[in-house]
Amino acid sequence: MTPTVSASGLSLRHGGTRALDDVSLRLSAGVTGLLGPNGAGKTTLLRVLATAVPADRGSFTVLGHDPGTSRGRQEVRRRLGYLPQTPGFHPDFTAFEFVDYVAILKELTDRAARHREVRRVLDEVGLGGVRGKRIRKLSGGMRQRVALAAALVGDPGFLVLDEPTVGLDPEQRMRFRELIAQAGEGRTVLLSTHQTEDVAMLCHRVVVLAGGTVRFDGTPAELTARAAGRVWSSTERDPGAKAGWRTGLGTFRNVGDPPAGADLLEPTLEDGYLLTLDGAGTEVAA
Amino acid sequence: MSAVLVAEPPAVDTGARGGGARAVLALAGFEARRLLLSVPVVIAFAAYAAWIVWRTRSSWDGHPALQDADRATQSMPMLVGLAVLVCADLAVLRSARHGTEEHYALLVVAPWRRTVAHALSVVPAALLTAVCVAAQFTWEALKPGAVGHGSPAELLVGPLTVLLFGLFGVLLARLVRSVFAAPLLVVCLLFTSVLGTGPDGADGLSWLSPVVAGGSATTLPSDLLGRPAAWHALYLAGAALCAAFLAVLVAGGRGRAVRAGLALSLALAVTGGVLQARGAAPSPELTAARERASVNPEKEQTCVTRGRSTYCAFPEWVPRADDWAGVVDRVQSLAGGPAHDRRLLVRQRIEARYGLESDAAIPASATAHQVTVGTGWGGNRVPEFSSAVAAVLVTGSERATEGLCDGRMVTVMWLALSWQDDPMDALRRVRLDDSVSGSAVVLSPTEPMSMTEGQTDVVRRLLERPGDGVAEKVKEHWAELTSPGVTTARAAELLGVAGPRKADSCEE
Repeated sequence: MTPTVSASGLSLRHGGTRALDDVSLRLSAGVTGLLGPNGAGKTTLLRVLATAVPADRGSFTVLGHDPGTSRGRQEVRRRLGYLPQTPGFHPDFTAFEFVDYVAILKELTDRAARHREVRRVLDEVGLGGVRGKRIRKLSGGMRQRVALAAALVGDPGFLVLDEPTVGLDPEQRMRFRELIAQAGEGRTVLLSTHQTEDVAMLCHRVVVLAGGTVRFDGTPAELTARAAGRVWSSTERDPGAKAGWRTGLGTFRNVGDPPAGADLLEPTLEDGYLLTLDGAGTEVAA
Repeated sequence: MSAVLVAEPPAVDTGARGGGARAVLALAGFEARRLLLSVPVVIAFAAYAAWIVWRTRSSWDGHPALQDADRATQSMPMLVGLAVLVCADLAVLRSARHGTEEHYALLVVAPWRRTVAHALSVVPAALLTAVCVAAQFTWEALKPGAVGHGSPAELLVGPLTVLLFGLFGVLLARLVRSVFAAPLLVVCLLFTSVLGTGPDGADGLSWLSPVVAGGSATTLPSDLLGRPAAWHALYLAGAALCAAFLAVLVAGGRGRAVRAGLALSLALAVTGGVLQARGAAPSPELTAARERASVNPEKEQTCVTRGRSTYCAFPEWVPRADDWAGVVDRVQSLAGGPAHDRRLLVRQRIEARYGLESDAAIPASATAHQVTVGTGWGGNRVPEFSSAVAAVLVTGSERATEGLCDGRMVTVMWLALSWQDDPMDALRRVRLDDSVSGSAVVLSPTEPMSMTEGQTDVVRRLLERPGDGVAEKVKEHWAELTSPGVTTARAAELLGVAGPRKADSCEE
C-alpha cells in the first residue's frame, strides 16, 4: 500500500534532551496507534508530523508534499486534521461556529459549501442536534467531539489525534472509538494514546515509542505475540517477573521470563507493550 | 528528501478551497458579524441611534446651519469607537485566552492573515457609523429651515474615529496580551474626557485628537470656519491604516506589501498631522476674510427685498430672508405712526475675527432703521430678533436702544411678543433668566436690553389682554408711547392697564 506519510531519520532535541532520535515511519490508510510512556516523544513526533515544529534532522512527506518548504507546508496543512492533546475552545461560540471558524482557517471559503461541510462533520460526530448550543454548555465528551469535528472538517487525508480519549468516561470512550474507527475508513489516522485498549480495539498497526526512538512497529497481534509464553499465573508474586500484580481472582499475573512449569496465560497487547518497553525487544517487527 | 507520490483518498465535497485572500475575507466576515453582535457594540450603536433621534429632533430648533450640523455628528461615534476598540481587542486575544492559538497555528491561514481579518472586521462597524452619520446629517439637511453647507471631510471624522479606535484595539492586542489593557485604556480615555474640556482646535496639537469639535460658540459662514477638516480626515485615515499595518507586522506579516503599506500609511498620517497643525492657525487670507465679514459685511452679502424692507445676508443665509421678513411684517403691522410703513434694513452681522471660539458681542449699529440679525434661527432667536425689530421701530436705531430704560420698553416688548402664538412663553424665552416677573436682561442680537420689574408687570398685563384692543391704543398713542422719557406708568395708562406700584427707574 502506498504510504500517506513517509518519514525518515527524524531527530529533534529539546535543550539537552533527544526528544526524537532517528525516527522512520511509513503510515498508510487506517488507524495507526502510537504508544509510549510519558516523555517518550509521542507528542513531539505528532507535532513534527503536523508541521508545528521542524525536525533538526531527517525528512518526511505527507500525501506527497514536503513540509520542508513553505509551499509544501501549506499543502500539508491543507490535508491535515489535528486534534491537540488539550484542545482549546471558545466557550461563547456555538459548536457550529467553532467548527465553521476552523473550516475558514482551513481555507474553506465558499460559505454554502462550508456550512454543508460543518453540518456533515457535526452529524458525523453525533452533535447535529446541539450544533447551535454554546460550547460552555456542552459536556466534556461533547466538547471532545467538537474538537474531533474541527479536525475532520475539510475531509483531511491525514488525521493526527493526540490522546483524544483522556478524561472521557467509559461510555464516552466507546463512542469516541467508534468515531475514530469511522474516521480511519479511507484516510490515515495517527492516534497517540496511553490506552492499550484503544490500540487493541481500533488500530491495524501500532508504533511503540520510548526515549524518542521507535521500539516497535507492527500489528497489534504482533505486539501481543511478543508476550506469548511470557505471561503466567502464580499464587504469590514471582520475584523473577518484570511486572506482576494481583488480579481480581486473587492470583498474581506475572510478565517476564516464566519459571519452568509455570501456569502460562493468554497474553494481551498490554503485556507485549510492557515487555517492549522493558527493552526486551527493540527491533522493528514489521 | 525523496518524493512519495500517492493517490489522495476520495474527497467529500467540501466546496472549493479559496486562496489566502478569500479566506481572509471569509474570516473578516465571520469576525465582523461577531463584533457587530457583541453586547458592548450593540449597546453603543443603540445609544448612538437613540441620541441621533433625540438630538436631531430638537437641534437648532429646526433651523440648522449645515456647517455646524456636520461637526455635530462627530462626538457620539467616539462611544461606538470605544466599544469597538474593546471588542476588537478581545477578539484578537480570543485564541490566546482560550488556548486555541497552538491549534490555529497549524491551520492554513497564518496568524498574520488572521490579524488582517481582524483589522478588516472593524470596517463594517465604521461603515455602519457612516450610515448613522449620513442619516443624522441628511435629517438635518432636509429640515425646511436648513441653511449652509456641510463638509464631507467633517462627516468622515465619525466613521474614521471608529475605524481608528477599532484598529488600535487590534494593535493593542498584538502588543499587550492582557484582556485588561483595552478596558483600562477606555476607562482612562473616558476619565480624561470627563475631566478635560476637550480639544478646541485652537492649536495644532489639539488636532491630534480624533474629534476636534471646536467651541462652536457661534455659527460662521462655511468659508470662514478655517478648520483643516480634510487634512484631519487624512490624518485619521493614515493613523488608522498605520495601526492596522503595524498590527499585521507585529503578528508576523513581514511581506513587502505590509512594509510598503506601513510606510505609506505613516506618510499619510504624518502629512495629515503636519498640515492640519499648520491649518489650525488661520491663514492671512482667512484672517482678512473674517475681518471683512465682521467689519464690512455689506461687501460680502447678498441683499433681497421683501415687502418694504431689505434683507442683506451672507449667501448661505439668503433663503432665511423669508423667515426674517415674516417677523418684521408682523411687528410692523402692530406699530403706529411712521414706523408702520418704515423701510427697514435687516443686516446679518457676525463677529468672525476670533474664529469659532468667539462669543464676543456684536456692537449695536448706529445706522438708522437697521436691524441686526445673527446666524442662528428658531427657538429663542425668534423673539430675540422680534425684540430687536421692535426696538428699532420705537427708537430709530440700535444705538438709540442702548440703555433704554423708560416706558418705551413696554411698547417694544409688546410689539415684539404680542403677535406670537404664546406671548407669555415668548416673554419667558426672550429673558435671560427665563422669568416672567421682576427685572431681567432681554436677549438681543447686539447689546442686550433690560426690563425693570414695573415694565415686566405692565407688559405681562398687556399680553394677557386681547391683542386687537391693545393694538388700537398703541397706534392711537404711538407718538407719546415712543417719545423719549415717557414713563412706564404713563405708558400703562395710555394702554389701559394698571401701572407699576413703584416709580419707574432703571435702579429697580
